[in-house]
Amino acid sequence: MDAATIGLIAFGAVLFLLAMRVPIAFSLASVATVGTFFIFAFRTGTFMPERAIRATTSMVFSNSFDLIHSYDLSMIPLFVALGHIAYRADITTKIYHAAKVWLTRLPGGVAMASVMGCGGFSAITGSSIACASTMGRICTPEMLRMGYDPRLATASVAAGGTLGSLIPPSVLFIIYGIFTETSISSLFLAGVLPGLLTLAGFILVIAIWVWRSPEIAPPTDVRYSSKERFRAAMESWPAVMLFVLIIGGIYGGIFTATEAAAVCVVAATLIGFAQGKLNLKGLWDAVKETCIQTSAIFFIAAGAKIFVAFIALTNVAPMIVNVVSDAQLSVVVLMLAIAVIYLVLGMFLDPIGIMVLTLPLMIPLVESYDLNLIWFGVVVIKLLEIGLITPPVGLNVFVIANVVGKDAPIDKIFAGITRFLSVDVIVLALIMSFPMISLLIPLGAR
Amino acid sequence: MLVPLEKILLGLGAIAVILLGVLITTNVVARAVFSSSVPDSVTMVRELMVAAILLPLGAATANRAHISVAFISDQFGPRLRSWLIVIGSVMGLIALAALLYAGTREFLSVWEKGSFFYGDLNLPKWPGRLLFIIGIGACWLRLAELAIRDTRTILSGGIVSDEQNHTIDALAEKEVL
Amino acid sequence: ETVLIHGEAGPNRGARANALQWFADQVAERSSGDLRMDIQWGGALFKANAAVQSLADGVADTGSVIAVYYPQEMAAYGIADLPVNNPDAWVGMRATDELMRTNEAVAENLAEKNLVYIGTWTTSQVNIGCKGDAIRSVADIEGKKVRGVGAYGKVFGEAGANMVNMSIYDAYQGLDTGLIDCSQGYSYAVSALKQAEVMDNYTMLNWGQVGGVGIFMNKDMFDSLTAEQQEVLTTTGADMADEFGRMITIANDKAIASMKEQGVEIIELPDAERAKLVEGGQKFLAAWVETAEASGLPGDKMLEDYAALIAKYTQERDTNGYPWAQSGN
Ligand code: NA
Ligand code: NA
Repeated sequence: MDAATIGLIAFGAVLFLLAMRVPIAFSLASVATVGTFFIFAFRTGTFMPERAIRATTSMVFSNSFDLIHSYDLSMIPLFVALGHIAYRADITTKIYHAAKVWLTRLPGGVAMASVMGCGGFSAITGSSIACASTMGRICTPEMLRMGYDPRLATASVAAGGTLGSLIPPSVLFIIYGIFTETSISSLFLAGVLPGLLTLAGFILVIAIWVWRSPEIAPPTDVRYSSKERFRAAMESWPAVMLFVLIIGGIYGGIFTATEAAAVCVVAATLIGFAQGKLNLKGLWDAVKETCIQTSAIFFIAAGAKIFVAFIALTNVAPMIVNVVSDAQLSVVVLMLAIAVIYLVLGMFLDPIGIMVLTLPLMIPLVESYDLNLIWFGVVVIKLLEIGLITPPVGLNVFVIANVVGKDAPIDKIFAGITRFLSVDVIVLALIMSFPMISLLIPLGAR
Repeated sequence: MLVPLEKILLGLGAIAVILLGVLITTNVVARAVFSSSVPDSVTMVRELMVAAILLPLGAATANRAHISVAFISDQFGPRLRSWLIVIGSVMGLIALAALLYAGTREFLSVWEKGSFFYGDLNLPKWPGRLLFIIGIGACWLRLAELAIRDTRTILSGGIVSDEQNHTIDALAEKEVL
Repeated sequence: ETVLIHGEAGPNRGARANALQWFADQVAERSSGDLRMDIQWGGALFKANAAVQSLADGVADTGSVIAVYYPQEMAAYGIADLPVNNPDAWVGMRATDELMRTNEAVAENLAEKNLVYIGTWTTSQVNIGCKGDAIRSVADIEGKKVRGVGAYGKVFGEAGANMVNMSIYDAYQGLDTGLIDCSQGYSYAVSALKQAEVMDNYTMLNWGQVGGVGIFMNKDMFDSLTAEQQEVLTTTGADMADEFGRMITIANDKAIASMKEQGVEIIELPDAERAKLVEGGQKFLAAWVETAEASGLPGDKMLEDYAALIAKYTQERDTNGYPWAQSGN
């Protein structure tokens, strides 16, 4: 049996195990481990189990350990901790109260504000997972408390989290820039308009959804006096201060985005203590909650990482790209084929893994068609972002499910997400058809 | 026996998260105010990450915090669904066994060689590897215990649920009420 | 046909990638298609900090190893990273390659780890680019926020710099926001990452390089090959130094020219100042000797041999010119 066949069987096996309720992390890791063992065991034609055990275990260990043993990813537990601490210190409740008071007459207004908050948070972090786990922790419980339908309260944040990589800074654009030798700053600028377009699309989805089924959002007939509005705005100062601290610190050259997470955790804790809203017990519980959630999230990510290494061994990705490249397609059909490839891979693999596996072959192909690599980068990142919210392996959805718990099982979140996915497809079509949406700002900056 | 162990490990993981925040913030302050830095802070953050992420894994498993896709198997009968939950734990045991075996080998190797990270303090590589084994090992034990306990429950005619034990929900409900 | 899986942590673009691709093409050609390299880019199989054990365990057959991640295990190869007087990429690679290939203690040390040395690259010489005030003397380093790497970074720290730890990919934003004043770098990488956009000046230190970057192979796999196959791999590996020397020299010259075009001031550090830096690196050589001897290598003797090899290839370059210049004209 050749490696590519093992790879295709593995995709099927993952689907089957997921359907059979095997936890996502275990499905990915166990299939990858067994599949890798078979590839190494039969590499030389004869069955060599001892060598295969050594190579297989070495590979699964180094890939999972390296993922966790990371400086940059320390921002994820820290931002999740920030969410928990800010919740217990009443910081998130106050800013949500202000949003409710000010947006009370706008149907679904707080959900829209949450998605815009995701857009704002994207300007701080380069990672969609960090964006979803932080905003999921902050926004979703507050929206549920206000009476939002769980589907809307979860799906809007899972989708909003995907702005994390489109709006700069962005880890995915950095990796794309390294693989294509294109300017990372141009890529960052190119992501701005598509990111804002996506944001506008998500807000539109909420507006239409709430307009057609008003029961999914809280009623809009409550009136607040201007005194109440003023008070609500004033009381939200800790959240505003944290926001100013993050933006000012990063863009003022005082700390990096990773460091911002730590500084904010410390600042939120101090604010909570000073206001008497947080005590040591509350802090301790918040951090323990953080640990339970991030360990489960990271374990899925580690399973996905191991699966990517296994898929690399199978050479499935070059096989797929070669089929497209040999077919001598017209530009339009080529782009459609590329979109399909990335969407299918996005069903199973994480964004960085997909880039590492496909870009070395995809970029020469795209160059042979004389396409603009900056624009193509935006298309690829948009496709990868969509993959974060498509079933069966949608990392952003898992992150939200993990944070929210039994109020929103993942199939409910996926059900809510279909509406956001449809607008994503429209935005994708616009980005693909009109390269100017991506290139306007980078060209203007020159 | 397992519960106190998991509690201790969860507590140590929580301490690691707090240390992450304090260490990185100290480094920022040292740079901005005192024109200096915490030596090897990046290496220490990486090692702390292993503690923060993996030590709580046993507790997370005990809380059934590993997410699965439920909507297909929700159509099945409760007994079949219960068996599927056991199979899920067994798949976890397979995946973790490979990690545990390789992690132990790697730990022994860096311990024997005295491997270290290049830096100001040349910190040793073994603590992160040891934390990895402890975290994965605790998770493995808990999964094995769950698999046995669930099997017994099913065999004695009961059914099993994998619904996550969510402390946040409990808290949120308390505050709403 | 024997297919060798190669694990590479970097992307398939840039000078190092081109040299690796050249190596793969040459191996296929010189073995008349008997050997083929299947390169996994971007750390798909393992990251740079897991390369040594991954190769030893057979996750890949050959792979790119960066010595700085393994100060203990790869102590021998780490000699090429030391801040000695070693500014020429080709001379540095030739000296490193000969030392790694001919020193018996090194080969034995690698064999214990189930590894075989195949060929070498280098980052080329270490320079430093700044936004704002330039580094024109060692005294100018004091008080600056510097992103530094390896022993070079330590020497900057000793000279009074405030060391900031961040990846080379974050350096662009760091320079832009003022989080750092200066970033240690290599000309072609500075150009590839467009750092010139946020730099005002670039000081050529004419000092040393980070040369412990190369291809190693799983020893079981190497031993299982025929003598002819082994010969193809080792000779192609040795020739890689010449090919990469040609590529990197061109790439660096181009990078400097483009920086000048963008208005970045290019500064040559005076000889007397450079001597201070080389002097400042001495104590880190002593630390290396200690590590090397702890893992059973003749540290002092190796340093001596290495210095002699640098002198030998500097001499060769001065009399004959670079090999590509000879054949090219
Ligand atoms: Na972002
Ligand atoms: Na997906």
